[in-house]
Amino acid sequence: MDRKVFLVLTIYRLLSTMKIVAVIPAYNEETRVGAAVRDALAHTHAVVVVDDQSTDRSGQIAEEAGAIVLTHHLNRGQGAALQTATDYALKYLSPDIIVHFDADGQMQGSDIEGIVTPIMLGEADIVLGSRFLGKQAENMPTFRRLVLRAGVLFTFLLSGIRISDSQNGFRALSRTAAEDIRISLDRMAHASEILDLIKVKALRYREHPVTIRYSVDTLQKSPSTFRAFEIVKDLLKKKFVR
Amino acid sequence: MVFQIALVAFAAFAILKTWKQYRARKVSKYWFFVLCVFWIGVAVVAITPDTTGIIAEAVGVGRGADLLVYIGVVVLFYVVHRLLLKQQQFSDEITELVRQAAIERAGSANHPHLASPLQGEGGEK
Repeated sequence: MDRKVFLVLTIYRLLSTMKIVAVIPAYNEETRVGAAVRDALAHTHAVVVVDDQSTDRSGQIAEEAGAIVLTHHLNRGQGAALQTATDYALKYLSPDIIVHFDADGQMQGSDIEGIVTPIMLGEADIVLGSRFLGKQAENMPTFRRLVLRAGVLFTFLLSGIRISDSQNGFRALSRTAAEDIRISLDRMAHASEILDLIKVKALRYREHPVTIRYSVDTLQKSPSTFRAFEIVKDLLKKKFVR
Repeated sequence: MVFQIALVAFAAFAILKTWKQYRARKVSKYWFFVLCVFWIGVAVVAITPDTTGIIAEAVGVGRGADLLVYIGVVVLFYVVHRLLLKQQQFSDEITELVRQAAIERAGSANHPHLASPLQGEGGEK
């Protein structure tokens, strides 16, 4: 049999047997979280949303869209919300693969199949989405591109891990990788922390191109690119103070 | 002169206070001893300020007053470091508390067939 056909068939068979759970941190995303949940749900078996003490109706809307919704009674940040969703999924949903997804609609559910495939084939423990491999990020501002490049260099210097996109929130983790990686940086620095833990725990990782669609809407909402300084601060604190 | 007397009086007061706490078994013998040494040291320095000069010369710092400032800066650095650690630890604990509450609530709502978390592993003993 043709190798390609064989691969496609294998993937299809695995897709139907392996349980994929998407986890989505949400903070004041009522206009976008519904669509994001439906998009993710079309490509996974379950979606867990952690409403990080939103002041709008994010939680309710996510629930109506079909997600399991957990509520943080205090705002603890994106990293903390991801870990909460992961803990819940591991405890109650017995997933084979956990996918980190965003509530703001910048990620495409159709990329999920691609990003979980290396794990299904046993070629990687964790797959990281990248905006800089083949598929282009749409409407990415130049300044953000530069800052992301700097982030890649910083991550390499700090953790010694070489990848093309250190701040991408789109990932897939095998069950064992999800159990191994505990996010302790509650805010935005979790992306770099996960990379660090990949190196520390010697996990097999791989990058996969994903499409990130920037819209005027999401660019306005997402905190300024200067939050990069916050990330660097949190990371250094973890390395040197803790 | 007034300053010296005030300082000695304060040291004496502090030792008396520690003695009372020790008698009431609120501090250990070890801490009573440490605090006594510290306050006696303060009193000695207050009465004969030259003693700090002797110590300063012994460790290679010009004046006794300078030595006190240096020690003060180091101690402050250490205290700030400890405070930051403590604050980080509190923050982590709050996150864990918020997390457990969120998981427990959703768990009992969505998976009532699984035993209540309090009866499960790691629950109340």
